[in-house]
Amino acid sequence: MALRFEDDFLKKLEYLHVVSKRAFAGQNRADRLTPKRGRGIEFADHRQYTPGDDFRHIDWKAYKRLNRLLLRLFDEERDLPIYLMIDASRSMAEPAKFDMARRIAAALCYIGLAHLDRLTILPFGKSLRHETSPGRGKGRIFRVFELLENMETAGPTDLRQSFKEFASRPRQNGLTVIISDFLDPGGFDAGLKILRTIGHDVFVVHVASERDRDPGTFGEVQFVDTETGDVREFEVTPRLAAAYVAAWEAHAAELETFCGRYDIGYVRADAERPFDEIILKAFRQGRFLA
Amino acid sequence: MTFGAMRAMEAWLLLGGAAALATWLFLRKLRPPRMLVASLLLWRRVLDEPRAITFWERIRRAVSLVLTVIIALAIALAATRPSLKSSTPSASRGRVLIVVDSSWSMLTRTGSHESRWERAVAQARRLAAAEAGNAMALATTADGLVEGPTTDLRLIESALDRIVPVGGDVTAWPQLAGADTVHFITDGAMARRLPGGVVVHSVFEAASNVGVTAFDVRPSLSALNAGDAYLEIVNYAPVAQDVRVRLARGEASILERSVSIGAGEALRQVLPLVRGAASDLHAHIEAPDNALGVDDDAFAWIEHGAPVTITVVGRQTGWLRPLLANDPDVRAAFLDPAGYDLAVGTGPGDHASEEDLIIFDRWAPPEPSARPAIYFAPPADTPWLAARAAGTNPSRAWDGSEEKRPRWETAGTHPVVHGVDPFTLKIEKAHPYGAAGLTPIAQSAQGTPLVYVSDTSSRRFVVLTFGAGESNLASAPGFPVLMGNAIDWLVRPDARAARTTGLASFNPATVQVIAPGGRQVPIARVSGAALAMLRAPGLYVAEGAGARSTFAVNVGSPQVSNAARTSLSPSDQARPVMAGASGTSWWLYCVAAAFVLALVEWWTWQRRITV
Repeated sequence: MALRFEDDFLKKLEYLHVVSKRAFAGQNRADRLTPKRGRGIEFADHRQYTPGDDFRHIDWKAYKRLNRLLLRLFDEERDLPIYLMIDASRSMAEPAKFDMARRIAAALCYIGLAHLDRLTILPFGKSLRHETSPGRGKGRIFRVFELLENMETAGPTDLRQSFKEFASRPRQNGLTVIISDFLDPGGFDAGLKILRTIGHDVFVVHVASERDRDPGTFGEVQFVDTETGDVREFEVTPRLAAAYVAAWEAHAAELETFCGRYDIGYVRADAERPFDEIILKAFRQGRFLA
Repeated sequence: MTFGAMRAMEAWLLLGGAAALATWLFLRKLRPPRMLVASLLLWRRVLDEPRAITFWERIRRAVSLVLTVIIALAIALAATRPSLKSSTPSASRGRVLIVVDSSWSMLTRTGSHESRWERAVAQARRLAAAEAGNAMALATTADGLVEGPTTDLRLIESALDRIVPVGGDVTAWPQLAGADTVHFITDGAMARRLPGGVVVHSVFEAASNVGVTAFDVRPSLSALNAGDAYLEIVNYAPVAQDVRVRLARGEASILERSVSIGAGEALRQVLPLVRGAASDLHAHIEAPDNALGVDDDAFAWIEHGAPVTITVVGRQTGWLRPLLANDPDVRAAFLDPAGYDLAVGTGPGDHASEEDLIIFDRWAPPEPSARPAIYFAPPADTPWLAARAAGTNPSRAWDGSEEKRPRWETAGTHPVVHGVDPFTLKIEKAHPYGAAGLTPIAQSAQGTPLVYVSDTSSRRFVVLTFGAGESNLASAPGFPVLMGNAIDWLVRPDARAARTTGLASFNPATVQVIAPGGRQVPIARVSGAALAMLRAPGLYVAEGAGARSTFAVNVGSPQVSNAARTSLSPSDQARPVMAGASGTSWWLYCVAAAFVLALVEWWTWQRRITV
């Protein structure tokens, strides 16, 4: 699958940047405001001079007016740690669905790299797989493309185990984006709660395909679970098909409600929708991009 | 119910087998298609939910099974060629002859939008199906035996597909030796004398019709005209009708009018036909209430529409000029024998021009003419006339020498001498000829031939053994009659006012008969006569002996056109054939039902209404 984007689309992406509901202080200087005071450009406040402070930051005009030594403070601008967690389990193996997931990841990576954010790509399935940090700057995007193109689906989905492993390692808090179909027999709530409790700003991208939403067939069918290999044989009647569609809608609504309750951002990305529309419209409406 | 394609036991076995096979196929568990899904998580939720099963969901499998079995039964039933027993008589034993009346009146349309013919053929199918297993034969009144006797029903069915009405002789009746049962399906329009024991099935249903009952060309009293066209149209409807009449001569319309003809009334129209135009006439009528179409057209041929071209060859032919000059039907040219020799060319007897007739006066070419010819007293030393074939004329009293003052006392029966008064002729001497192929048609009291004819398929000619120099031929009252007869016999061998369709007899010299459209009609030669079946109305051409004559064949007659009348009487005990559904056999309905049901099942299966 080619993940290359057209130039005009990349230009549009450059005007966007990832929005985090909370401010996180990164390790390197960048263009995101942090709660820290430091050597930024934007004036923030004054404080009393204490010995050892840098003379260059003493506000001499204030000293002349107030006869007090005050030190000028500036907002610290740092990068944002962004963790892109991509579901690479077998349930995502449907080409349309997995392609959409990877293209979304690629686009977010490009936006992040363009704004000097620190990106970490973490594929997961039954557990967390090898994580990759491509570095900083737009020039690294080709490495991201290569990484995503070579990514393959395998194994079942275990959101709880994967997120637990993610939380178990010491990381700087930041924005965690989960791109998945959330078809986990163990449920999605436990895993998302873990991420939320460790202090990350979490954003969910729910990828779904037409085949997920509607069985699209009638009659006697042998259904095979791609993850577990389980086989169920039954007759799909119009009523049963309608019940399935309703069950899927309930599942999506349940996920969205859960995200709303726990202040987790939610965007649904149907594989059949135009990719540009999802990035430029759905993500902005979901207040994930600005 | 009876089955046309097989015995009843075989048919029931087939039906049972088809139903069993359909049930087995329906119940046979086929491996369903595999479908990979991302997760069975949601399917498990759906399937684990308790759901109420509707009444339709309970029975839909059974409904599908019933539909499948019905489709299989319908197809199997179609293969058995079923028919209802109630509409046919019970099967008989022995040989069966089914005769279908092939009169043109059988094409009359009935109130149920089918023709009597279609109804008759359908009844014949039912009879054949009912008699399955017996030796059967199929015949029509025009063609005689068409198929059989055979026990193969398919042969009879195939023959029923082939037969068509062609009119024919009302006296003709097909015979089948040893026939135990004879069924005759007719409308009774043509009165027939039927043999005893014939089971009559009547397809008669009174209908309104307007038809041309007579159309021909009759001699005109005026010498300026080639004849008078006589047209007779009769309205056999119970109410008056506006009839549109069109009469065309060649491509030109010579009459076009609308006329109201009262119920049962006839319109008779006489129209003078001037000389010099096309010779073919076509009459066509249109009327609002007209059940029979075949009698709406009629044809006629003007025999004297174009003059006969005659070449007279001789040295002293002046005595023939007044006779030929005064006849408007003749265009004569006169030639010296030397001129004829030049015109003949290299081939013997192949005259370069295309005249209708050549008259040789006291002179004969070295080879007989290929064109029709009259020879007046040809020289006795003419090689092809003088040569006497061995063993010919053994019974003649004539001794081979000329007879002085022969007396012609008895007029012959041959068309050439028919009506000739022999007593007005004074003959000084007659010289007989001994060539083979000459048939004397008039002889003297002592047996000396006076008039010969030769009639072969290649050439036809008349030889008079006396000429104008040896008789009062030029002034005898019988001479114009003799000439007129000879010209008609030679140039118009098959000219008749009109013929009807069916088996027709032609002059033995006829070599081919060409039907309208150029199709050649097969000729059968029986006892010296040429017979041909004329199957459609129109203008036909008969060719033979170097002559070519056109004649009209028509259908219309009061018997054919009067669709409101039947000759069947209560004493005939005719069994009426019911109207409706006659054109289609039951097996077609079975196939249609199977198709519709299959369509329904497919449509409902697509929508998961059935399984």
